[in-house]
Amino acid sequence: MSHGDTIPLHPSSQSDIDEIENLIYDSVQSSQATVLPARPPSPPRASIPVSSSPFINSNIPPPSYQKATVSAPSKQPVPAVLPVSSADFSTPSGGDARQGISSDAFGSPANTLTEPVWDTVKRDLSRIVNNLKLVVFPNPYREDPGKALRDWDLWGPFFFIVFLGLALSWSASVKKSEVFAVAFAMLAAGAVILTLNVLLLGGHIIFFQSLSLLGYCLFPLDVGALICLLKDNVILKVIVVSVTLAWSSWAAYPFMSAAVNPRRKALALYPVFLMYVSVGFLIIAID
Amino acid sequence: MDRNQETRENYANPRTCFFHVIFKAAALAFYILSALFFNSFVIIFVVTVFLAALDFWVVKNVSGRILVGLRWWNEINEQGESVWKFECLDHESLARMNKKDSWLFWWTIYLTAVAWIVLGIFSLIRFQADYVLVISVCLTLSIANIVGFTKCRKDAKKQIQQFASQTIASQFSSTLQSAFSLV
Repeated sequence: MSHGDTIPLHPSSQSDIDEIENLIYDSVQSSQATVLPARPPSPPRASIPVSSSPFINSNIPPPSYQKATVSAPSKQPVPAVLPVSSADFSTPSGGDARQGISSDAFGSPANTLTEPVWDTVKRDLSRIVNNLKLVVFPNPYREDPGKALRDWDLWGPFFFIVFLGLALSWSASVKKSEVFAVAFAMLAAGAVILTLNVLLLGGHIIFFQSLSLLGYCLFPLDVGALICLLKDNVILKVIVVSVTLAWSSWAAYPFMSAAVNPRRKALALYPVFLMYVSVGFLIIAID
Repeated sequence: MDRNQETRENYANPRTCFFHVIFKAAALAFYILSALFFNSFVIIFVVTVFLAALDFWVVKNVSGRILVGLRWWNEINEQGESVWKFECLDHESLARMNKKDSWLFWWTIYLTAVAWIVLGIFSLIRFQADYVLVISVCLTLSIANIVGFTKCRKDAKKQIQQFASQTIASQFSSTLQSAFSLV
Protein backbone atom coordinates (compact mmCIF):
# COMPACT_ATOMS: atom_id res chain seq x y z
CA MET A 1 0.00 0.00 0.00
CA SER A 2 1.42 3.39 -0.88
CA HIS A 3 1.69 5.96 1.78
CA GLY A 4 -0.58 8.68 0.65
CA ASP A 5 -3.30 6.39 -0.51
CA THR A 6 -6.47 7.64 1.08
CA ILE A 7 -9.01 6.31 -1.37
CA PRO A 8 -10.90 3.51 0.30
CA LEU A 9 -10.98 0.40 -1.77
CA HIS A 10 -14.19 -1.09 -2.96
CA PRO A 11 -14.78 -4.30 -1.00
CA SER A 12 -14.77 -6.52 -4.06
CA SER A 13 -11.52 -5.09 -5.33
CA GLN A 14 -9.93 -5.77 -1.99
CA SER A 15 -10.82 -9.42 -2.33
CA ASP A 16 -9.47 -9.41 -5.86
CA ILE A 17 -6.24 -8.01 -4.57
CA ASP A 18 -6.09 -10.70 -1.95
CA GLU A 19 -6.69 -13.29 -4.61
CA ILE A 20 -3.95 -11.93 -6.77
CA GLU A 21 -1.57 -11.98 -3.85
CA ASN A 22 -2.47 -15.56 -3.12
CA LEU A 23 -1.88 -16.47 -6.73
CA ILE A 24 1.47 -14.82 -6.67
CA TYR A 25 2.49 -16.59 -3.49
CA ASP A 26 1.28 -19.91 -4.78
CA SER A 27 3.13 -19.62 -8.01
CA VAL A 28 6.26 -18.43 -6.26
CA GLN A 29 6.12 -21.29 -3.81
CA SER A 30 5.35 -23.95 -6.33
CA SER A 31 7.96 -22.79 -8.74
CA GLN A 32 10.50 -22.59 -5.97
CA ALA A 33 10.04 -26.25 -5.49
CA THR A 34 10.50 -27.21 -9.06
CA VAL A 35 13.67 -25.44 -9.86
CA LEU A 36 15.83 -27.88 -7.96
CA PRO A 37 15.02 -30.90 -10.12
CA ALA A 38 15.56 -28.82 -13.19
CA ARG A 39 19.28 -28.75 -12.55
CA PRO A 40 20.69 -32.20 -12.23
CA PRO A 41 23.37 -32.28 -9.60
CA SER A 42 26.69 -33.48 -10.88
CA PRO A 43 27.63 -37.06 -10.07
CA PRO A 44 30.46 -36.74 -7.60
CA ARG A 45 28.53 -34.43 -5.36
CA ALA A 46 25.66 -35.40 -3.15
CA SER A 47 22.84 -32.97 -2.80
CA ILE A 48 22.34 -31.89 0.71
CA PRO A 49 19.31 -29.74 1.01
CA VAL A 50 20.30 -27.28 3.59
CA SER A 51 18.06 -24.34 3.06
CA SER A 52 15.33 -23.58 5.48
CA SER A 53 12.65 -23.43 2.87
CA PRO A 54 10.04 -26.13 3.37
CA PHE A 55 9.33 -26.43 -0.32
CA ILE A 56 12.43 -27.96 -1.69
CA ASN A 57 11.56 -31.62 -1.43
CA SER A 58 8.06 -31.46 -2.77
CA ASN A 59 7.37 -32.61 -6.25
CA ILE A 60 4.76 -30.24 -7.42
CA PRO A 61 4.42 -30.37 -11.20
CA PRO A 62 5.84 -27.31 -12.79
CA PRO A 63 3.58 -24.39 -13.37
CA SER A 64 2.31 -24.16 -16.89
CA TYR A 65 4.56 -21.39 -18.00
CA GLN A 66 7.76 -23.11 -17.09
CA LYS A 67 9.27 -24.86 -20.05
CA ALA A 68 10.95 -28.05 -19.19
CA THR A 69 12.93 -28.48 -22.37
CA VAL A 70 16.62 -28.85 -22.06
CA SER A 71 17.50 -26.02 -24.32
CA ALA A 72 15.23 -23.51 -22.71
CA PRO A 73 16.78 -21.49 -20.02
CA SER A 74 15.69 -22.60 -16.65
CA LYS A 75 13.43 -20.03 -15.25
CA GLN A 76 11.57 -18.92 -12.28
CA PRO A 77 12.39 -17.69 -8.91
CA VAL A 78 15.25 -19.51 -7.54
CA PRO A 79 15.82 -17.99 -4.22
CA ALA A 80 15.10 -20.63 -1.69
CA VAL A 81 16.52 -23.29 -3.82
CA LEU A 82 20.04 -22.39 -3.77
CA PRO A 83 21.06 -24.40 -0.81
CA VAL A 84 24.71 -24.67 -0.40
CA SER A 85 24.95 -28.06 -1.96
CA SER A 86 23.68 -28.12 -5.39
CA ALA A 87 25.98 -27.26 -7.76
CA ASP A 88 27.65 -25.85 -10.43
CA PHE A 89 29.84 -23.06 -10.84
CA SER A 90 27.89 -20.45 -9.62
CA THR A 91 26.90 -20.46 -6.31
CA PRO A 92 24.40 -21.39 -4.18
CA SER A 93 25.88 -20.01 -1.16
CA GLY A 94 24.65 -16.61 -1.86
CA GLY A 95 21.38 -18.40 -2.11
CA ASP A 96 20.88 -17.42 1.44
CA ALA A 97 21.26 -13.83 0.54
CA ARG A 98 18.84 -14.24 -2.29
CA GLN A 99 16.33 -15.91 -0.12
CA GLY A 100 16.62 -12.96 2.14
CA ILE A 101 15.94 -10.68 -0.73
CA SER A 102 12.96 -12.47 -2.09
CA SER A 103 11.13 -13.72 0.91
CA ASP A 104 11.80 -11.02 3.41
CA ALA A 105 11.56 -8.26 0.91
CA PHE A 106 12.37 -5.00 2.55
CA GLY A 107 15.16 -4.41 4.92
CA SER A 108 16.29 -8.00 5.25
CA PRO A 109 19.73 -7.97 6.76
CA ALA A 110 22.06 -9.09 4.01
CA ASN A 111 24.24 -11.98 4.94
CA THR A 112 27.77 -10.96 5.64
CA LEU A 113 29.67 -11.17 2.46
CA THR A 114 32.33 -13.37 3.90
CA GLU A 115 30.05 -16.22 4.66
CA PRO A 116 28.66 -16.89 1.22
CA VAL A 117 31.97 -16.17 -0.38
CA TRP A 118 33.82 -18.74 1.69
CA ASP A 119 31.29 -21.38 0.89
CA THR A 120 31.53 -20.64 -2.76
CA VAL A 121 35.28 -20.62 -2.66
CA LYS A 122 35.33 -23.94 -0.86
CA ARG A 123 32.99 -25.46 -3.37
CA ASP A 124 34.96 -24.21 -6.33
CA LEU A 125 38.18 -25.44 -4.79
CA SER A 126 36.71 -28.85 -4.19
CA ARG A 127 35.58 -28.94 -7.79
CA ILE A 128 39.07 -28.16 -8.96
CA VAL A 129 40.49 -30.92 -6.80
CA ASN A 130 37.86 -33.37 -8.00
CA ASN A 131 38.54 -32.60 -11.61
CA LEU A 132 42.22 -32.97 -11.04
CA LYS A 133 41.82 -36.35 -9.43
CA LEU A 134 39.50 -37.50 -12.14
CA VAL A 135 41.64 -36.46 -15.03
CA VAL A 136 45.18 -36.92 -13.99
CA PHE A 137 45.41 -39.72 -11.52
CA PRO A 138 44.94 -43.39 -12.31
CA ASN A 139 41.43 -44.19 -11.42
CA PRO A 140 40.14 -47.68 -12.12
CA TYR A 141 36.66 -46.72 -11.03
CA ARG A 142 36.36 -43.97 -13.52
CA GLU A 143 33.22 -44.24 -15.56
CA ASP A 144 32.90 -43.28 -19.15
CA PRO A 145 35.77 -40.87 -19.65
CA GLY A 146 33.78 -38.67 -21.92
CA LYS A 147 31.49 -37.87 -19.07
CA ALA A 148 34.08 -37.52 -16.40
CA LEU A 149 34.76 -33.84 -16.86
CA ARG A 150 31.12 -32.91 -16.78
CA ASP A 151 31.65 -29.98 -14.48
CA TRP A 152 34.42 -28.39 -16.33
CA ASP A 153 36.01 -25.35 -14.88
CA LEU A 154 38.77 -23.17 -16.17
CA TRP A 155 40.37 -22.20 -12.89
CA GLY A 156 42.53 -25.31 -12.72
CA PRO A 157 43.88 -24.88 -16.24
CA PHE A 158 44.47 -21.20 -15.58
CA PHE A 159 46.59 -21.90 -12.52
CA PHE A 160 48.51 -24.68 -14.21
CA ILE A 161 49.33 -22.67 -17.30
CA VAL A 162 50.42 -19.68 -15.26
CA PHE A 163 52.49 -21.89 -12.99
CA LEU A 164 54.20 -23.53 -15.92
CA GLY A 165 54.91 -20.14 -17.43
CA LEU A 166 56.31 -18.90 -14.14
CA ALA A 167 58.48 -21.98 -13.70
CA LEU A 168 59.89 -21.64 -17.20
CA SER A 169 60.40 -17.94 -16.76
CA TRP A 170 62.18 -18.43 -13.46
CA SER A 171 64.55 -20.97 -14.95
CA ALA A 172 65.42 -18.70 -17.80
CA SER A 173 68.41 -16.52 -17.14
CA VAL A 174 67.67 -14.04 -19.86
CA LYS A 175 64.54 -12.79 -21.58
CA LYS A 176 62.26 -13.87 -18.78
CA SER A 177 59.28 -11.92 -19.99
CA GLU A 178 59.42 -13.31 -23.47
CA VAL A 179 59.67 -16.84 -22.15
CA PHE A 180 56.64 -16.37 -20.00
CA ALA A 181 54.59 -14.72 -22.70
CA VAL A 182 55.55 -17.34 -25.24
CA ALA A 183 54.78 -20.19 -22.89
CA PHE A 184 51.42 -18.78 -21.92
CA ALA A 185 50.37 -17.92 -25.45
CA MET A 186 51.55 -21.24 -26.80
CA LEU A 187 49.69 -23.24 -24.20
CA ALA A 188 46.50 -21.26 -24.47
CA ALA A 189 46.49 -21.10 -28.24
CA GLY A 190 47.57 -24.72 -28.40
CA ALA A 191 44.63 -25.83 -26.29
CA VAL A 192 42.22 -23.89 -28.47
CA ILE A 193 43.72 -25.27 -31.67
CA LEU A 194 43.72 -28.82 -30.40
CA THR A 195 40.08 -28.50 -29.52
CA LEU A 196 39.30 -27.14 -32.96
CA ASN A 197 41.23 -30.02 -34.40
CA VAL A 198 39.03 -32.53 -32.65
CA LEU A 199 35.89 -30.68 -33.65
CA LEU A 200 36.97 -30.48 -37.27
CA LEU A 201 37.71 -34.18 -37.33
CA GLY A 202 34.06 -34.70 -36.64
CA GLY A 203 34.52 -35.48 -32.99
CA HIS A 204 32.00 -34.82 -30.30
CA ILE A 205 33.52 -32.76 -27.62
CA ILE A 206 32.47 -29.59 -25.99
CA PHE A 207 34.80 -26.68 -26.46
CA PHE A 208 35.20 -25.67 -22.84
CA GLN A 209 35.31 -29.23 -21.63
CA SER A 210 38.22 -29.94 -23.91
CA LEU A 211 40.02 -26.74 -22.92
CA SER A 212 39.58 -27.71 -19.31
CA LEU A 213 40.85 -31.22 -19.97
CA LEU A 214 43.96 -30.12 -21.79
CA GLY A 215 44.68 -27.66 -19.03
CA TYR A 216 44.36 -30.24 -16.30
CA CYS A 217 46.62 -32.63 -18.20
CA LEU A 218 49.35 -30.05 -17.84
CA PHE A 219 49.63 -30.87 -14.17
CA PRO A 220 52.31 -33.56 -14.59
CA LEU A 221 54.37 -31.21 -16.72
CA ASP A 222 54.03 -28.60 -13.99
CA VAL A 223 55.47 -31.04 -11.52
CA GLY A 224 58.25 -31.85 -13.96
CA ALA A 225 59.03 -28.19 -14.50
CA LEU A 226 59.18 -27.61 -10.76
CA ILE A 227 61.62 -30.44 -10.30
CA CYS A 228 63.75 -29.21 -13.18
CA LEU A 229 63.69 -25.77 -11.64
CA LEU A 230 65.12 -27.07 -8.40
CA LYS A 231 67.73 -29.41 -9.82
CA ASP A 232 69.70 -28.31 -12.80
CA ASN A 233 71.09 -31.61 -14.02
CA VAL A 234 70.55 -32.37 -17.71
CA ILE A 235 70.18 -36.12 -17.36
CA LEU A 236 67.76 -35.72 -14.49
CA LYS A 237 65.80 -33.22 -16.52
CA VAL A 238 65.52 -35.57 -19.48
CA ILE A 239 64.31 -38.42 -17.30
CA VAL A 240 61.85 -36.30 -15.36
CA VAL A 241 60.48 -34.68 -18.47
CA SER A 242 60.03 -38.00 -20.26
CA VAL A 243 58.17 -39.46 -17.33
CA THR A 244 55.87 -36.49 -16.89
CA LEU A 245 55.35 -36.23 -20.62
CA ALA A 246 54.23 -39.84 -20.76
CA TRP A 247 51.96 -39.23 -17.80
CA SER A 248 50.34 -36.19 -19.42
CA SER A 249 49.74 -37.98 -22.67
CA TRP A 250 48.37 -40.99 -20.85
CA ALA A 251 45.98 -38.71 -18.96
CA ALA A 252 44.73 -37.00 -22.09
CA TYR A 253 44.40 -40.18 -24.14
CA PRO A 254 41.03 -41.57 -22.96
CA PHE A 255 39.19 -38.30 -23.29
CA MET A 256 40.46 -37.45 -26.69
CA SER A 257 40.08 -40.91 -28.11
CA ALA A 258 36.56 -41.24 -26.77
CA ALA A 259 35.61 -38.08 -28.57
CA VAL A 260 36.46 -39.06 -32.12
CA ASN A 261 35.78 -41.77 -34.61
CA PRO A 262 38.13 -44.73 -33.87
CA ARG A 263 39.71 -44.50 -37.29
CA ARG A 264 40.75 -40.94 -36.58
CA LYS A 265 42.09 -41.45 -33.12
CA ALA A 266 45.67 -41.03 -34.16
CA LEU A 267 44.88 -37.81 -35.98
CA ALA A 268 43.36 -36.38 -32.85
CA LEU A 269 45.99 -37.64 -30.44
CA TYR A 270 49.12 -36.86 -32.37
CA PRO A 271 48.85 -33.06 -32.06
CA VAL A 272 48.25 -33.36 -28.34
CA PHE A 273 51.36 -35.44 -27.99
CA LEU A 274 53.26 -33.00 -30.15
CA MET A 275 52.27 -30.09 -27.98
CA TYR A 276 53.34 -31.83 -24.80
CA VAL A 277 56.61 -32.84 -26.40
CA SER A 278 57.31 -29.26 -27.34
CA VAL A 279 56.55 -28.11 -23.81
CA GLY A 280 58.89 -30.83 -22.57
CA PHE A 281 61.65 -29.59 -24.83
CA LEU A 282 61.07 -26.10 -23.56
CA ILE A 283 61.55 -27.34 -20.03
CA ILE A 284 64.70 -29.23 -20.84
CA ALA A 285 66.22 -26.58 -23.00
CA ILE A 286 65.61 -23.67 -20.70
CA ASP A 287 68.91 -22.48 -19.49
CA MET B 1 3.08 14.89 0.81
CA ASP B 2 5.30 11.87 0.79
CA ARG B 3 4.73 11.32 -2.87
CA ASN B 4 6.24 14.62 -3.81
CA GLN B 5 9.48 14.05 -1.98
CA GLU B 6 12.06 12.00 -3.73
CA THR B 7 12.98 9.00 -1.74
CA ARG B 8 16.72 8.86 -1.75
CA GLU B 9 17.85 5.32 -1.92
CA ASN B 10 21.18 4.39 -0.62
CA TYR B 11 23.07 1.40 -1.79
CA ALA B 12 21.36 -1.62 -0.37
CA ASN B 13 24.46 -3.76 -0.45
CA PRO B 14 27.42 -1.50 0.02
CA ARG B 15 29.90 -4.29 0.64
CA THR B 16 28.93 -6.14 -2.48
CA CYS B 17 29.16 -2.97 -4.50
CA PHE B 18 32.56 -2.33 -3.04
CA PHE B 19 33.90 -5.73 -4.01
CA HIS B 20 32.25 -5.49 -7.39
CA VAL B 21 34.18 -2.35 -8.15
CA ILE B 22 37.43 -2.98 -6.31
CA PHE B 23 38.76 -5.85 -8.38
CA LYS B 24 38.03 -4.14 -11.66
CA ALA B 25 39.61 -0.93 -10.46
CA ALA B 26 42.60 -2.81 -9.05
CA ALA B 27 43.22 -4.67 -12.29
CA LEU B 28 43.02 -1.50 -14.36
CA ALA B 29 45.08 0.53 -11.91
CA PHE B 30 47.73 -2.11 -11.58
CA TYR B 31 48.02 -2.44 -15.30
CA ILE B 32 48.30 1.27 -15.87
CA LEU B 33 50.58 2.10 -12.96
CA SER B 34 52.75 -0.95 -12.96
CA ALA B 35 54.95 0.29 -15.74
CA LEU B 36 56.17 2.91 -13.31
CA PHE B 37 57.22 0.47 -10.62
CA PHE B 38 57.97 -2.90 -12.11
CA ASN B 39 60.30 -3.76 -14.88
CA SER B 40 59.18 -7.28 -15.16
CA PHE B 41 56.37 -8.04 -17.53
CA VAL B 42 55.73 -11.35 -15.86
CA ILE B 43 54.56 -9.79 -12.63
CA ILE B 44 52.36 -7.35 -14.47
CA PHE B 45 50.81 -10.15 -16.46
CA VAL B 46 50.23 -12.52 -13.61
CA VAL B 47 48.83 -9.98 -11.19
CA THR B 48 46.61 -8.23 -13.73
CA VAL B 49 45.19 -11.43 -15.12
CA PHE B 50 44.70 -12.83 -11.64
CA LEU B 51 42.81 -9.72 -10.54
CA ALA B 52 40.72 -9.83 -13.71
CA ALA B 53 39.90 -13.48 -13.12
CA LEU B 54 38.92 -12.75 -9.52
CA ASP B 55 36.74 -9.93 -10.72
CA PHE B 56 35.07 -12.23 -13.23
CA TRP B 57 34.34 -14.73 -10.49
CA VAL B 58 33.02 -12.09 -8.08
CA VAL B 59 30.75 -10.54 -10.66
CA LYS B 60 29.42 -13.83 -11.90
CA ASN B 61 28.93 -15.52 -8.59
CA VAL B 62 28.35 -12.84 -6.02
CA SER B 63 27.47 -9.38 -7.21
CA GLY B 64 25.35 -10.56 -10.09
CA ARG B 65 23.15 -12.42 -7.69
CA ILE B 66 23.02 -9.86 -4.97
CA LEU B 67 22.87 -6.63 -6.91
CA VAL B 68 20.66 -7.54 -9.82
CA GLY B 69 19.35 -10.98 -9.03
CA LEU B 70 20.60 -12.61 -12.20
CA ARG B 71 22.71 -15.67 -12.72
CA TRP B 72 24.04 -17.54 -15.70
CA TRP B 73 26.05 -20.70 -16.09
CA ASN B 74 26.82 -23.54 -18.36
CA GLU B 75 25.92 -27.15 -17.85
CA ILE B 76 26.56 -30.31 -19.69
CA ASN B 77 23.48 -32.45 -19.76
CA GLU B 78 23.10 -36.18 -19.90
CA GLN B 79 23.35 -36.30 -23.65
CA GLY B 80 26.67 -34.57 -23.50
CA GLU B 81 25.44 -31.32 -24.91
CA SER B 82 26.37 -27.98 -23.54
CA VAL B 83 23.49 -25.94 -22.24
CA TRP B 84 23.57 -22.34 -21.15
CA LYS B 85 21.25 -21.64 -18.32
CA PHE B 86 19.94 -18.30 -17.19
CA GLU B 87 18.12 -17.59 -14.00
CA CYS B 88 16.55 -14.64 -12.34
CA LEU B 89 14.60 -13.85 -9.24
CA ASP B 90 10.86 -13.69 -9.40
CA HIS B 91 9.61 -10.43 -10.75
CA GLU B 92 8.52 -8.95 -7.46
CA SER B 93 12.00 -9.16 -6.08
CA LEU B 94 13.42 -7.89 -9.30
CA ALA B 95 11.16 -4.88 -9.08
CA ARG B 96 12.32 -4.28 -5.54
CA MET B 97 15.98 -4.38 -6.40
CA ASN B 98 17.78 -1.27 -5.42
CA LYS B 99 18.04 1.00 -8.42
CA LYS B 100 21.39 2.40 -7.40
CA ASP B 101 22.85 -1.07 -7.05
CA SER B 102 21.82 -2.16 -10.48
CA TRP B 103 22.91 1.14 -11.99
CA LEU B 104 26.35 0.67 -10.49
CA PHE B 105 26.50 -2.94 -11.60
CA TRP B 106 25.73 -2.34 -15.23
CA TRP B 107 27.70 0.83 -15.65
CA THR B 108 30.88 -0.52 -14.12
CA ILE B 109 30.73 -3.60 -16.27
CA TYR B 110 30.39 -1.61 -19.45
CA LEU B 111 32.94 1.00 -18.45
CA THR B 112 35.54 -1.61 -17.60
CA ALA B 113 35.19 -3.24 -20.99
CA VAL B 114 35.52 0.13 -22.70
CA ALA B 115 38.60 0.94 -20.62
CA TRP B 116 40.24 -2.33 -21.60
CA ILE B 117 39.49 -1.68 -25.25
CA VAL B 118 41.06 1.75 -25.06
CA LEU B 119 44.16 0.37 -23.36
CA GLY B 120 44.28 -2.34 -25.99
CA ILE B 121 44.26 0.21 -28.74
CA PHE B 122 47.19 1.96 -27.10
CA SER B 123 49.13 -1.27 -26.92
CA LEU B 124 48.38 -2.10 -30.51
CA ILE B 125 49.60 1.28 -31.61
CA ARG B 126 52.84 0.74 -29.73
CA PHE B 127 53.21 -2.78 -31.13
CA GLN B 128 53.61 -4.33 -27.72
CA ALA B 129 52.44 -7.85 -28.30
CA ASP B 130 52.95 -8.84 -24.68
CA TYR B 131 50.57 -6.24 -23.40
CA VAL B 132 48.06 -7.04 -26.09
CA LEU B 133 48.04 -10.55 -24.68
CA VAL B 134 47.23 -9.32 -21.18
CA ILE B 135 44.53 -7.04 -22.45
CA SER B 136 42.93 -9.67 -24.62
CA VAL B 137 42.64 -12.00 -21.66
CA CYS B 138 41.08 -9.32 -19.47
CA LEU B 139 38.79 -8.21 -22.26
CA THR B 140 37.59 -11.75 -22.87
CA LEU B 141 36.64 -12.07 -19.23
CA SER B 142 34.77 -8.75 -19.19
CA ILE B 143 32.90 -9.48 -22.38
CA ALA B 144 31.92 -12.92 -21.17
CA ASN B 145 30.26 -11.39 -18.16
CA ILE B 146 28.56 -8.69 -20.20
CA VAL B 147 27.13 -11.18 -22.66
CA GLY B 148 26.02 -13.56 -19.95
CA PHE B 149 24.24 -10.97 -17.88
CA THR B 150 22.67 -9.21 -20.83
CA LYS B 151 21.18 -12.46 -22.05
CA CYS B 152 20.02 -13.14 -18.53
CA ARG B 153 18.32 -9.78 -18.28
CA LYS B 154 16.51 -10.23 -21.57
CA ASP B 155 15.35 -13.58 -20.37
CA ALA B 156 14.17 -12.03 -17.13
CA LYS B 157 12.13 -9.43 -19.00
CA LYS B 158 10.52 -12.12 -21.09
CA GLN B 159 9.61 -13.99 -17.95
CA ILE B 160 8.13 -10.91 -16.35
CA GLN B 161 5.90 -10.41 -19.33
CA GLN B 162 4.84 -14.01 -19.29
CA PHE B 163 4.19 -13.86 -15.59
CA ALA B 164 2.21 -10.66 -15.92
CA SER B 165 0.03 -12.09 -18.65
CA GLN B 166 -0.41 -15.25 -16.67
CA THR B 167 -1.46 -13.29 -13.62
CA ILE B 168 -3.85 -11.15 -15.59
CA ALA B 169 -5.34 -14.24 -17.16
CA SER B 170 -5.85 -15.94 -13.84
CA GLN B 171 -7.20 -12.78 -12.25
CA PHE B 172 -9.59 -12.43 -15.13
CA SER B 173 -10.80 -15.98 -14.77
CA SER B 174 -11.21 -15.63 -11.04
CA THR B 175 -13.14 -12.41 -11.54
CA LEU B 176 -15.37 -14.23 -13.96
CA GLN B 177 -15.86 -17.01 -11.46
CA SER B 178 -16.76 -14.63 -8.67
CA ALA B 179 -19.07 -12.79 -11.02
CA PHE B 180 -20.82 -16.02 -11.86
CA SER B 181 -21.04 -17.05 -8.24
CA LEU B 182 -22.75 -13.79 -7.38
CA VAL B 183 -25.30 -14.19 -10.08
